[in-house]
Amino acid sequence: MGETILSVKGIAKRFGHIQALRDATLEVARGSITALVGDNGSGKSTLIQILSGNLLPDRGEIQVGEACCHGLTIRRAMALGIRTVYQDLALDDCKTSVENIFLGSELTRGPFLDRRAMAREARRLLEEIHVEIPDLTEPVGRLSGGQRQGLAIARALRRPGELLLLDEPTAAMGIQESHSTLRLLAGLRDRGMTLLIISHNLHQVFALADYIYVLRAGRVLTGTATGDTTVDALQEQILRREREEDRL
Amino acid sequence: MKRTCALLLALAMVLSLAACGGTTADTTAPVSDTPAPQSEAPATETPAPETEEPAGMSETVQQLYAEFDAAMEEQIGPMPENYGDVKVGAVIISLTNAFWANMKDYYEAAAAEYGIDLDVQTGTTEGDTASQLDVLMTMADMDYDVIIVSPIDGTNLIPGIVKCNENGIKVINLGPGVDEEALADAGGYLDAKITVQFEEQGETVANDMIARLPEGGQVAILAGLAGAGQSEGRTAGAQAVLEAAEGIELVAVQNCDWDATLAYDATKDLLTEYPELKGIFCCNDTMALAAVEALASEGRNDVLVYGVDFTDDARAAIEAGTMTGSMSYSSERYTKAALQMAIMLNEGETFESNVYLPLTLVTVDNVNDLEGWR
Amino acid sequence: MSPLRKWCARRSVPLLLLAVCLGLMAFLSVRTQSFFSLKNVVNILEANSYRLILACGMMCVIASGAIDLSAGSILSFSAIGAAMAMRAGAPVWLAILLALALGTAMGAVNGLIIHLTRINALIITLGTSFLYRGMSLIATRGIPITKLPQGFRDFGFGDVFGMESGVTMSFLVVLVLIPFFYHMRWGAYVTALGGNPEALKRSGVSTGRYRISVFALMGALAALAGIIITARLNSAEANAGLDMEMDAICAVIMGGTALRGGSGSLLGTVIAVFLLGLIRNGLTILSVSSYYQQFITGALLLCAVAAAELRERGRRTG
Repeated sequence: MGETILSVKGIAKRFGHIQALRDATLEVARGSITALVGDNGSGKSTLIQILSGNLLPDRGEIQVGEACCHGLTIRRAMALGIRTVYQDLALDDCKTSVENIFLGSELTRGPFLDRRAMAREARRLLEEIHVEIPDLTEPVGRLSGGQRQGLAIARALRRPGELLLLDEPTAAMGIQESHSTLRLLAGLRDRGMTLLIISHNLHQVFALADYIYVLRAGRVLTGTATGDTTVDALQEQILRREREEDRL
Repeated sequence: MKRTCALLLALAMVLSLAACGGTTADTTAPVSDTPAPQSEAPATETPAPETEEPAGMSETVQQLYAEFDAAMEEQIGPMPENYGDVKVGAVIISLTNAFWANMKDYYEAAAAEYGIDLDVQTGTTEGDTASQLDVLMTMADMDYDVIIVSPIDGTNLIPGIVKCNENGIKVINLGPGVDEEALADAGGYLDAKITVQFEEQGETVANDMIARLPEGGQVAILAGLAGAGQSEGRTAGAQAVLEAAEGIELVAVQNCDWDATLAYDATKDLLTEYPELKGIFCCNDTMALAAVEALASEGRNDVLVYGVDFTDDARAAIEAGTMTGSMSYSSERYTKAALQMAIMLNEGETFESNVYLPLTLVTVDNVNDLEGWR
Repeated sequence: MSPLRKWCARRSVPLLLLAVCLGLMAFLSVRTQSFFSLKNVVNILEANSYRLILACGMMCVIASGAIDLSAGSILSFSAIGAAMAMRAGAPVWLAILLALALGTAMGAVNGLIIHLTRINALIITLGTSFLYRGMSLIATRGIPITKLPQGFRDFGFGDVFGMESGVTMSFLVVLVLIPFFYHMRWGAYVTALGGNPEALKRSGVSTGRYRISVFALMGALAALAGIIITARLNSAEANAGLDMEMDAICAVIMGGTALRGGSGSLLGTVIAVFLLGLIRNGLTILSVSSYYQQFITGALLLCAVAAAELRERGRRTG
């Protein structure tokens, strides 16, 4: 395992009576793809919300590079170089592809938006990650799931930083689109990016990730290199919940 | 029959006398040359308190109309025999209010009778001062010869009137008054004004009340909203007459804000404080009917109650004898007179002073004769 | 698709309205002599200047996914504030600034409450509309404040380029809004508030700032409309601007801005205000009873909305 870029220690978060996260601890190595797997309700999404600055944890510590803190705001997370692709993609369907890619980080000339430069840059970005969108000036509400995913990733890549969080990047996607998205993610790693992917699709994760963490009932159970485990072993860990809960 | 005529004639004389007095007091025209045609009528001539024989219905109303027309001719002059084509516009307050919706119909009927071109326009809703002005601004650039305006408030039509002045369109103000001081500030003027005089309404009621109380006694006034023109005028008119009368004691003038509940409570309080109370003048019928209710609940039927507006409810109360009288005027003749003035302005005549509509006091004595009064 | 066809397709609602406008103008000029005069065109512009100003503000608010039912009340109270200040001897320029400041503040309060409580703007502004209208009534006791200084009347009603000054002001408002709304961050973020506020927030933009600023702009424009109306009528009254926000909302929706927000059409709004003014003017010129005005307005609104919806559906399936 290489140099650690993100390290999470003992994160806990409670919503009313529900303890969403009890003790989440994990490390992400620079230049790797790390996957976080778990069943619904295991706390995956809460962890992503905390890492992206949408939620403050009750307890625990987050270390990004040299900086160490208890909680993050969206702006702070961005400043630390954490970029997030949300499960719902956070696209504004009324806006065009270009406008979505640059939402919140528009290129300007003086006080005015520099639409031409943004269109040029957007085209370059999308080409780089092999996402094909014929008309960048159409509202994105009419694009396919894969194209929208590509846009969300392109927007994340626009921001400075090298850590990319992805929440269920292939959910609700056809087989073909899933494959191209996975290829795209692998390509990002090859360009030196660090990815933390949340997914419940073990087969995809297995094909893609270097390290896999299993999250169950708000706890990170194990972290293993992909080569050291099997799909069945992971499956077993995820599904053992009921029995373990009983014992607890 | 003869006595009825005499009574009405006397009434009309008193009314026009009051009108003349009001004119001199109120007009803003530099010269008030309104003649005092009825000055020979002795002021002591008050209406007889009762009639013996009710006249035929249509005849009474015809008679009233005749009086009316005579009084109007006194102020406006005779209708020209021949007159050229004239296009008249009328801007009224609203078509969502029954009174003004009726006025529109009367206007159109009168225009048909005179054979002239007439458009009646209004803002979108009552109280929409801005859209009423928009309508007048548009009309000011059209080919009207005369425009009759009834503004929602004293100032909202002023820019439109100024524009009419500039474009050579004659302007008549009917009903609610334009603030003439503000109009003059804006560089505009009215060519004529026809309206109802509120003081006169109060004076007429007060005179009738005095005539019905030969032995004198305590009386009171229930006024409307403090500061409202109608209320202040009616109250002042009645107050002046009542205070000047021998034997009459005006014990209270109370604001009841046109509100039935307030008037009801005020009447009860008055009866407690002045058990000898003989008469109440209310500045509108709503309050008068409330006063009637309060009197009935006290078991009193010896107090005279007057109102203003002659609403349908008031008519029923007067017919039943629980209410004494209410001030009324003819909306039909109102619009006819205004159109006549429009025709005469177009023929080059001028009106130096305001024209006041003759008013009629409807009382228990003549209410049954007023079938067909509009 | 050729660029021209694309341009037209994207602006189909404004273009449709423009066609209706031209048809109506042709009809009116055939039917009457007075319609196609310069004077009448000026009349229409003058009578609709303050409506256009209100509608521009409302367009921004609706594009941000909200609505402002308190615009008419803000209009009234800010004008009354200015009138009272002038009555108390304040110079005209100060009174005008005061009106604009009051309007901005009342609008900002709307935005702030909506941002903090996350309660639907419809409810909040319904509440504040009564609140502000009540303040007007309390301040004036229902009695109009009239006889305002000549300087104030000149500002809102004086002659600029041969027209009432309101016309120039409304044009200026549109001209200033074009870059702000279409070519600057402000417009991009305001429309994003309507399109997907969560996306905007996750992009690291402080949404409260834009929510408040768009309502503050509406308030300032309502105050400007109030100044014009008050100067025209020479009277500041508690009932001024009653239901005017509804006319503004009607024009904005008719102009092709969707009530759900996300985007806005300034061009469509301008044309819709002009069309509604044209109808009012035409009815007056044709001496048609004002009974029909509301009926026609309603029918047109329904047609415009239906056309926009059908087009949108056709695109989605086609």
